[in-house]
Amino acid sequence: MGIRINPNPWTDLLTGIALDQKQENQAIQELSTGKKVNQPSDDPEAVAGLIVNNAQTSRVNAYLSNISTTQGSLQEADSTLNTVVTALTQAISLGTEGANGTLNQTDRDSVAQEVNGIQQQILESANQSFEGNYLFAGTAVNTAPFVANSASSSGVSYVGNSGVNSVQIGDGQTVPANLPGNQLFTASGSDVFQALTDLSSALSSGSNIPAAESEVQNAFNYINAQRSFYGTTLDRLNSATSFLNQENTQLAQEQNNLVGADMATAATELSQADVALNAAMAAGGKISQTSLLNYLT
Amino acid sequence: MSTLFGALSIAVRSLYAQEGAIDTTSNNISNVDTPGYSRETPILSEAPPLDLGQISIGNGVDFNGVQSIRDNILELRIDQESQQQNQLTSYVNYMNQVQSLFNETQGSGLSDAINSFFNSFQQLADNPTDLPTRQAVISAGQDLASVFQQTGKQLTTIQQGADQEVVQTVQQINADTTQLADLNQQVSGLPPSSEQADMLEDNQYEVLNNLSQLVDVAVTHTGSGGLTVTTTNGTALVAGGQSFALSTETNASTGFQDVFSQGSDVTSTFTGGQLAGLLEARDQSIPSVTASVDNLAAGIINSVNTQSLKGYDLNADKGVDFFQPVVQPSPGSNAGAAENMAVAITDPSQVAASSVAGPQGEGDNANALALANIQNEAVVNGQTATDFYSDLVSTVGNDVSTATDEQESVGLVLTQLQNQRSNTSGVSLDEEASNLILYQRAYEAAAEVVSAVNSLTNDVIQTI
Repeated sequence: MGIRINPNPWTDLLTGIALDQKQENQAIQELSTGKKVNQPSDDPEAVAGLIVNNAQTSRVNAYLSNISTTQGSLQEADSTLNTVVTALTQAISLGTEGANGTLNQTDRDSVAQEVNGIQQQILESANQSFEGNYLFAGTAVNTAPFVANSASSSGVSYVGNSGVNSVQIGDGQTVPANLPGNQLFTASGSDVFQALTDLSSALSSGSNIPAAESEVQNAFNYINAQRSFYGTTLDRLNSATSFLNQENTQLAQEQNNLVGADMATAATELSQADVALNAAMAAGGKISQTSLLNYLT
Repeated sequence: MSTLFGALSIAVRSLYAQEGAIDTTSNNISNVDTPGYSRETPILSEAPPLDLGQISIGNGVDFNGVQSIRDNILELRIDQESQQQNQLTSYVNYMNQVQSLFNETQGSGLSDAINSFFNSFQQLADNPTDLPTRQAVISAGQDLASVFQQTGKQLTTIQQGADQEVVQTVQQINADTTQLADLNQQVSGLPPSSEQADMLEDNQYEVLNNLSQLVDVAVTHTGSGGLTVTTTNGTALVAGGQSFALSTETNASTGFQDVFSQGSDVTSTFTGGQLAGLLEARDQSIPSVTASVDNLAAGIINSVNTQSLKGYDLNADKGVDFFQPVVQPSPGSNAGAAENMAVAITDPSQVAASSVAGPQGEGDNANALALANIQNEAVVNGQTATDFYSDLVSTVGNDVSTATDEQESVGLVLTQLQNQRSNTSGVSLDEEASNLILYQRAYEAAAEVVSAVNSLTNDVIQTI
């Protein structure tokens, strides 16, 4: 008798069909989810990479959101200071006008009134708020930082603080997000309100007008110099934004490399598995259902 | 001297023998689909010849019963592979459930909640006195706590599922060992190679095969067809006609069922079969994942609390614990940290965003920034939360992937062995058909002999 052959060919066939089906399911899952890794066991290293990638992406987005919030308040502060500077320019012209010997006291009084109006306007600007927070209050953003105070020689006192908050714009990178009002408007020697009060008094008294005018000029120069902080910081934020956007693109690319499916490969795999499965099934159909018994009569 | 009646008795003996062979064939054909059935062949032998002095005359054929065609070594190999396969299958089954808790590719898992929580501090830093932003920090903390709680609870649920299956498996093992002892008893009274003994032997192997799927077994053949079965580590299961039941008892400290044999705890001694897979998942792999999740939770809680205590809140008060502090059940153990994680503060003004004491310090954001940056600091095992968590997930993934690969390769070996068993022991209908013709023709021929002897006897009678 020859070698006995397994009389039951179905076991092998079923194993084959199961393997083909598994490959087909895998390919279908890749195509339908767009991912080649659909659970940690598919590629543990890739999933670990994905988790780190997600954390980085989430941080980059937080930095971008920090930047966008900060940009809003910095731009608002900068444009507010722009109106302050314009108002100071106007005050300087009024000083020049008042120093002109052709004016009488009544004229000078009315110029002094205009200067007072400018001071009031600057006081309002100094109390400018953005989204509910006072821009020039240091970190005491919930109270108006400048209040009229007749006891003060400048007529105004600062009730904010000197605090500066930082915002994070990258791993380990921060920028200051505000300039306290006492550093801008009431710095010793360049106090805007003192200068305007002095100009107004000089106009009212008719004496020392050029000195008061130069005091205003001095305050103007000082504020202009301080203002460059906003431009510089906004520039930094802009370059940080482009850097972070680029990082975001890289992270997305990396994520795709980690878990994204190669659609062309997956489609090829699907058709290969399909061909194999069909062949196995066709072979199953051909397994002889007859035996010698069918031929015995 | 031979006689006509001698020829008749030889023919009749042949008729009996061919009937026996046809019976065997018929039995094979009937059992073509019976699981565990090994084909049988009739044992035919030449009857002892009649010695008549110088000559001896053939005495026909004897039917000496049937023989099962079985390769015992092969059966043993199949049982071994089957133990391993079932161990892996039940293990993979539970670890797949575990890995689905951390399936970050589908967005489930802890990482989103961890990232959102730390980002909420970034947003707080942008606007430290804003109450809705402070509330958002508390909400993000609650979300994180709830994801940790859920993960901890689900791990326990999966563990409980494995525990219940341990109890069921032990019951099945006991049913099988009882049945096997019963078969041993029955087979011991029978002559070997009797049809009855063969049938019982088939049943023994079938039960043994089932038992091997449940637990690792070592089998010794005792005389007279009995089987002695122990686990590979020597726990007695069946000895002759006696079976030794396993029992389960609740372990007071874990709350899970320990397996006992004759009064001693054998929980950790199983090396194969479904039971070993279940116990490995329940007692080793899942607890290790749970411990990692607890350590991660404790690491985050401790770091966030420490930083919170350094800060000041919106009312210029000293910062308080953000999360409920971890209560260690024993020194060095963070067990329960994930399941019990909760945010301790409810008042958004209590979030310690500022690091400046005193009046007007509340608008400072330095402590909020420090809290946000805990994300980049080592909080557990010298690793950041993200790195520790990604290691945990890749460990679980590797574990499942290794076990699945192994399961597949064992499956292929098992198929191979089963084919080999079929080669040896499977019933081939073609073979049975050809045997049937053979036996049928032999029967017909013997019947012809009877008829010829009959006619000869007739002739003799008529001459009288």
